[in-house]
Amino acid sequence: MTEELSHAELGDLLGVYALDALDPDERDHVERHLPGCPSCRTELARHREVLAPLSLPAGPPPTGLWERIAMTLEEPPPPLKLIAPGAPPLRPRRHLRALAAVTAVAAALIVVLGLRVATQERRLDRLQAVTAEDAVERAVLAAIASPAARKVELRSFDGSASAVVAVLPDGRGYGLIDGLPHLSSDRTYQLWALAEGQRISAGTLGPQPEIAVFHTSGNIDGFAITEEQGPGVAASTNAPVLIGWLRQS
Amino acid sequence: MGPDPDDRSDASLVVTIGRLRQDALAEVYRRHGGAVFALARRVLVDRALAEEVLQEVFLRLWNQPEKFDPERGSLRSYLLTQTHGRAIDLLRSETARRQREERNARSIAEAGVGLDDEVQDLVVAEQIREAMGGLPDRERRAIELAYFGGYTYREVAGLLGDPEGTVKSRIRSGLHRLRQTLPRAALEAT
Repeated sequence: MTEELSHAELGDLLGVYALDALDPDERDHVERHLPGCPSCRTELARHREVLAPLSLPAGPPPTGLWERIAMTLEEPPPPLKLIAPGAPPLRPRRHLRALAAVTAVAAALIVVLGLRVATQERRLDRLQAVTAEDAVERAVLAAIASPAARKVELRSFDGSASAVVAVLPDGRGYGLIDGLPHLSSDRTYQLWALAEGQRISAGTLGPQPEIAVFHTSGNIDGFAITEEQGPGVAASTNAPVLIGWLRQS
Repeated sequence: MGPDPDDRSDASLVVTIGRLRQDALAEVYRRHGGAVFALARRVLVDRALAEEVLQEVFLRLWNQPEKFDPERGSLRSYLLTQTHGRAIDLLRSETARRQREERNARSIAEAGVGLDDEVQDLVVAEQIREAMGGLPDRERRAIELAYFGGYTYREVAGLLGDPEGTVKSRIRSGLHRLRQTLPRAALEAT
């Protein structure tokens, strides 16, 4: 079926779509239509709410299966593809660009082995850890690679920005930030440590942050970055631009 | 440390899952794992396959909690939508038509009785049975064949010997009728 469906025809298909009973071409039509049509999305949601109780009565979930699920949650992230040294050199960068979704494994490899690492999604081609000129850059990478550090991954709502924050046992903290839009010079990003439901400022980061260096103490649950006016604020209720939580063991 | 997980809303539990707290996911599992498993089992009949779907649905919630939008509907219906979609995929890829028909004869015969020994929400289950029983036979049959049997509406038309357009409109009117006859309590029980 290649012709376009009218809105009325699409509406007729919504109930069938909710039952997963459309042929692939009609399903594609509906799925293309939905993002742009709030009334159809509402209608679809109503169909789904009606279907939810249909398979009652339900007993408890199978015993033993939760343990299996719980064990899977602890698994390490999928392996990274490595490029051996001897591959063509990467273009040199003047400044360190932050990483996206860097894992502790990747950082450790970068610092210790000097291999260039490619993730399946993103090349860390700006990262030349072992030749990094800047002492701060080396400190940041060393902290992220350190097994003693507590690490937190921060994410933005739409996934376009991310950060990795590492806190060493002595309270020194470092962050690598990627993808935050540049602010005008009268505004700044600010880093917050999250503890016991409070936000504690860990310092301002400037309008174009790539690296954060700070000091913290006590039990941290996570970190957040907000956007603020000028010199920063003592307390903020702004919604975070980036937020992440410490993984509990 | 925060309120007891038992007292928290589904939406706040999902936010906490975003904090990588296993106990929040465990609470979601306790509340909704049974319904997820029951639906998967109803569609797939095979217990091992149903367990596979159950695991996938919860891992997906763990890895992508942001995909649940509480404005869109309940967590239960979100999880069951995922469950149904995955179960149907497995059913269609796994089973030859004849096997499916045998399986559907069994599962549809058991519809309304429930496959598990332990029963929760007997009152709600009874209300569902009544609401489904109150549908015209052809509407109920079309919905059951599509939703639990995993047939497309065109295949349902073939099975019932009805025109495709008729099946589509019976499904539509059956769902509307259920919406009206299912008491609020039944819908909110999830």
